[in-house]
Amino acid sequence: MTEVIATNQTILVVGGGISGLTAALEAAETGKQVVLVEKRPFVGGRITQLYKYFPKLCFPTCGLEINQRRAKMNPNLTIISMAEVTEVQGEAGDYSATIKISPRYVNENCTGCGDCTRAVEAEFDNEFNYGLGGMSKRKGAYLPHKMAHPQRYVLDPRIIGTEDADKAKAACKVNAIDLEMQEETLTFKAGAIVWATGWRPYDANKIQPYGYDRFANVITNVEFERMADPQGPTGGKLLRPSDGKEAKHVAFIQCAGSRDHNHLLHCSRICCMATLKQTHFVQDAWGDDGKSTIYYIDIRAIDRFEDFYTRVKNNPNVSFIKSKVASITENSENGNPVLHGVDVESYNRDGNGGYDRYATEYDLVVLAVGMEPSVDKGTFPVDISINEEGFIEPAPENGGVFAAGCASDALDVNRAVQQATGAALRAIQVVNRVAGTEGQ
Amino acid sequence: MADEKKFAGYICTGCGIGERLDAGQLETIATRDGKMQSCRQHEMLCSKEGVQTIRDDIANEGVTHIMIAACSRRAKVEAFNFTEVAMSRANLREGVIWVRPDTDENRETTQEMADDYIRMACAEVKFMTQPTGSGEQELNKQILVVGGGITGMTAALETAAAGYPVHIVEKSGVLGGHAGGYYKSIPTRSPYAEPQDTGISQMIADVEANDSITVHLNSTLARTEGAPGRFNAEIATESGSSETLSFGAIIQATGFKLYDPSALPQYAYDKSADVVTNEELEGLVMQADGGPIKRPSDGKAVESVAFVQNVGQNSTEENELPYHSGIGDMIAIKQAMYFKELNGNCDTTILFDNLRTPGAAGEDFYRAGQQKMITFSKGAVTEVVPGSTLEVKFKDLILNDDATMQCDLVVLDVGMMPNTGPDPYAQLAVEEAEDEAEKEKARALLENAPPSILNLEYRQGTDLPHLKYGFTDSHFICFPYETRRTGIYAAGPTRRPMDMRQAADDAAGAAMKAIQAAENAGKGRAAHPRSGDLSFPSFRKEGCTQCKRCTVECPFGAINEDEKRYPIFNEARCRRCGTCMGACPVRVISFENYSVDTVGQQIKNVEVPEEWDEKPRILVLACENDAYPALDQSAMNGVEITQWARVVPVRCLGSISLSWITDSLNNGYDGIVLMGCQKGEDYQCHFVKGSEMGLERMSKVGDTLQTLNLEPERVASYEVAITDIQRAPKLINDMAETVQNIGMSPFKF
Amino acid sequence: MTELNTAMIEQYRNSFLQEVEANVEEGEWVKMCMQCGVCAGSCPLGNAWEHPPQEIFMMIRAGKREAVLSSDSMWMCTSCYNCISRCPRGLPITHIMHGLAHYAQRLGLVPKNQPTQRFAQMFWQNLNKKGRVNELKLGLSLYFMNGFGEGVKTSLKMKDIGLGMLKTKRMAVTEAFGGHGVKDLSGFQKIMKKAHELEDARIQKSGN
Repeated sequence: MTEVIATNQTILVVGGGISGLTAALEAAETGKQVVLVEKRPFVGGRITQLYKYFPKLCFPTCGLEINQRRAKMNPNLTIISMAEVTEVQGEAGDYSATIKISPRYVNENCTGCGDCTRAVEAEFDNEFNYGLGGMSKRKGAYLPHKMAHPQRYVLDPRIIGTEDADKAKAACKVNAIDLEMQEETLTFKAGAIVWATGWRPYDANKIQPYGYDRFANVITNVEFERMADPQGPTGGKLLRPSDGKEAKHVAFIQCAGSRDHNHLLHCSRICCMATLKQTHFVQDAWGDDGKSTIYYIDIRAIDRFEDFYTRVKNNPNVSFIKSKVASITENSENGNPVLHGVDVESYNRDGNGGYDRYATEYDLVVLAVGMEPSVDKGTFPVDISINEEGFIEPAPENGGVFAAGCASDALDVNRAVQQATGAALRAIQVVNRVAGTEGQ
Repeated sequence: MADEKKFAGYICTGCGIGERLDAGQLETIATRDGKMQSCRQHEMLCSKEGVQTIRDDIANEGVTHIMIAACSRRAKVEAFNFTEVAMSRANLREGVIWVRPDTDENRETTQEMADDYIRMACAEVKFMTQPTGSGEQELNKQILVVGGGITGMTAALETAAAGYPVHIVEKSGVLGGHAGGYYKSIPTRSPYAEPQDTGISQMIADVEANDSITVHLNSTLARTEGAPGRFNAEIATESGSSETLSFGAIIQATGFKLYDPSALPQYAYDKSADVVTNEELEGLVMQADGGPIKRPSDGKAVESVAFVQNVGQNSTEENELPYHSGIGDMIAIKQAMYFKELNGNCDTTILFDNLRTPGAAGEDFYRAGQQKMITFSKGAVTEVVPGSTLEVKFKDLILNDDATMQCDLVVLDVGMMPNTGPDPYAQLAVEEAEDEAEKEKARALLENAPPSILNLEYRQGTDLPHLKYGFTDSHFICFPYETRRTGIYAAGPTRRPMDMRQAADDAAGAAMKAIQAAENAGKGRAAHPRSGDLSFPSFRKEGCTQCKRCTVECPFGAINEDEKRYPIFNEARCRRCGTCMGACPVRVISFENYSVDTVGQQIKNVEVPEEWDEKPRILVLACENDAYPALDQSAMNGVEITQWARVVPVRCLGSISLSWITDSLNNGYDGIVLMGCQKGEDYQCHFVKGSEMGLERMSKVGDTLQTLNLEPERVASYEVAITDIQRAPKLINDMAETVQNIGMSPFKF
Repeated sequence: MTELNTAMIEQYRNSFLQEVEANVEEGEWVKMCMQCGVCAGSCPLGNAWEHPPQEIFMMIRAGKREAVLSSDSMWMCTSCYNCISRCPRGLPITHIMHGLAHYAQRLGLVPKNQPTQRFAQMFWQNLNKKGRVNELKLGLSLYFMNGFGEGVKTSLKMKDIGLGMLKTKRMAVTEAFGGHGVKDLSGFQKIMKKAHELEDARIQKSGN
């Protein structure tokens, strides 16, 4: 059984992505008791699946390493993975939270040696690579990624009850596999709650005219990120899914799902910079043979980062077309996606009047899908102010619940972390008030 | 303490270590060569029982120093967390058995590898003491906020709400800053459809009513000395009086100034009073006091207004801003709404290039502006022609038309420029400039440096270092408050351009870091990234030559000089990277848990076989933040590393003492591989300049090699990222190949 | 130029956008366009338009009244609703196009011999006679729209289809002579009259 020692001076952080992890660490390093609840088997959230950050083009795992080391070293921080908050009751300074912990089937004895993975035969699509999971399978006993923290393997529930589960158990020399593990429910106290449940990529299948569900060579920006990663499904090579052909001519479609009343009403803020960054992947992979075309409505590079946009604009291998792409078809002969639409800045450019209607073929199309907040208005455990877009408002009536990162708005990593740091302070204010009233 | 040292070794035989290696021999090595007074084997050292064994030894046997031979020091950290003793870890799993093939012919060299790692870990722990902090630290919960605008006031209120007393130092005679002169602000709450009250008056009232906040108006910092936990700031008033107060940490919220559009004659800012900046418009609206907004030239009520966006921003032109304030379009929408509110028929046109209304709030506000009949035109303004009616000439980019519009007033969206002090490294930038043009630029920056704000008594300069374009932003995406001056945090538009909501959020973040810095200083704990490290650098004064290298090279400006030019380390400013240690030519600087000896002795204790054994030794010094984790991950992938390699993790490449290199060459090592983080503009070194400094020092190793008559290829240094999972082992294996080609070192004794 | 047109120019001198808002069906949506161009791109007849919808919206905002109202672009709309379903801002583009066409028609600004407009006119007259569309008559008048010779030619070409429709009772020859109307024709005509009055009053009001 999992045990949590918590009081109403404890800060509960919900979500262990970069925002939640930051809020938890900042509070814990200020001497506060923190319980971090994470849905996935590891912390770090979506940044673990990014190849590079803009604008430095540096690696997210670099900062993750530091954060994970901080987490490992800090006795004030308790991390509970594979857990979700199901209920919250009470008020600022005196909450009671109930969490549901899914069985991992691997206990804390696990040394991360990997014997179970080698013993197990069943393979599954690797969700770590989003929709490209089929390009590289993972075993039924697995470590989600090389830097996963906690460094503890997971058994896919689909192998439980099969021979594979027994094989895994037999292979484990440290008695870490517990096939009898059950879902647990746990209730504990907290004085303040930092809500950092982040975002999910907008479901590209819903953007029907782009054919994400029909055309193998139409992928999303998060998938492209996995493709560029040497640890990803293609070993870092930009190879298109249909036939493994080198993807040299790549189109990026902005606002795929964002700024659209049919999909997400809000602008997701990060997608322009993400695409500008991803043009570097194309450039780095193929040099002058790699060509990127960005279809956009407005380019929203982020204030100080506009110089990044300027640099990409000056790259002759990158072109910009102001247009929301109308539809994508597929050239059945070569599997190339064909983009259709009108360039709204082309009026009479050739002197013949009218706009350019394009029907342009690419090797690969990347949909810059937006950020959908993971805050579910309908099932949110406490009464809280959530705006039309699904983000938590900075409202005084939220009591001791503070949104951090993308639960509060569509934010880039830097802003999310910045915002999460502030959220940690607001949680500290509450528990310090409690401490004051309790005479501690 | 020193005479009570008791050394114990623990060898884990789990995870295949016992099967692959002769644990008995390892134990012998630990006690015989490593001089461990006791040594135990355990089949799963990280288990509860295993850990309890160690705990019992500490409690019952008085063990003070432990050597754990098991997995990588990055694994099972929570289990092997013995804060009361000094500890070293020999990496037998990721470092040995996972990177060597399990075959008979490799058994001997694999064992030798493990034997060496035991020797190294034993040697390391022998020269370590468990740090306990200096004992000089004190908790000072008082926080200093510089700047009384919205950022500063928010920082003060947030800090006070957490129970920490605050002083605000404000240069002008009033609180409120820029926002104090604004009619309304961009909405900060849903539904993001109307301009809202700035809330400034309420905020000023809250600050004034707060018992924990003291406000110093008409005041500046004449002098700031000390370190987190013990900053002494002399607050000087305009009238000449001053008082010195002490603080735990400092928040710099000195805001911004606006770009002067006079430099751009095409907008006729200097020629017509009816061409105003967006901030000046706020003044006109305040003047109107609810009545019609009048244009400055003749007081006519404005019936048509053009907002010219992106003026002098996002530009590559000289004297313009290479970045964008990012909020100009939101401001234009807000201001156009001022006119619409008074007169629905007022013609308001926003001429933009890319409409920057990001996020949920941004897009909502854009739509709200359209609802109110604000006209949005994607257009490039070429000229504003002055006259009784202004004429704005622009290229309509959608209709591909050269268009003109007549209006009563033109509002220019000008960018925000940070209010920062002089960059402490401006002089260095001149010296380090690579070409004449760059040098000229750097010189101009140095000569036009603004006056100091913090007046820090720091060896390396008076103010926070600039990152880019004068902003004091953090270089690190994951760590927005990572600053090069521990305990001093910038917030608001002095850090990067931002609006009021962002500034308020940023202020809370900076307040968080400030109270954390104060608490850490109180306990002697290091700030990020070695959070919690209680060690601090100390030096042997009698050996010091006052060469000042440490004081100059510290990436965090932590080290001052006393009147005799000896270093003063200011431990609360220190980030424990060890760059000073690497800089010291006479090796007198050390930490309790990391020193010239803790590494040097590891190097010395590796067994170097005779030349004719044909068993080369390759020393790998790998940055513990990036290169070492990369090697761990490659081990998880089962990538082979040459059996000749001996890897030592270092805090930073900058901490590498040249003596380690010369000693290992003298001891007969055949090759040396150094792995640090990426340097340069987009550096990834967590200690800013550490890696660069280290690589720079290593570039001079050639002389040593020459003196020893050794081939230059024997020492190679690389920039390695944490993602170099394939490359990092290859670089080591390449060195093995190099050694094979050029032959063994002749220095084996 | 019609009187109404002159009145409207006078009334909305400053803002064509306001004129459109007041007088064109769903015209109040025009200001909400953000120039993404997806309407133009998803229009199946896009090639036939001189000014695709997003440009028309921009032209309205830029005050290009004459160019918009005398354009034949909005007459090209076939009401497929592709643009509406795609528009990220939810503009009822199809309706706006018809609204603009209708408004241009009222002001007398439609280009001469604009075929869609002529067909629409025929349809309307046909409908008004009996309160229901007489398909046979409408078909024939369409065939003969451009002269007797062409009418005969087209009729012959369509002969087989016509005979097929007669055979399957989808068309009755008798309809060519008078044809039947709605049950309460005078009631229908009263409704139409009232509708005209309301519409005129609205425009009149806005034009004053």
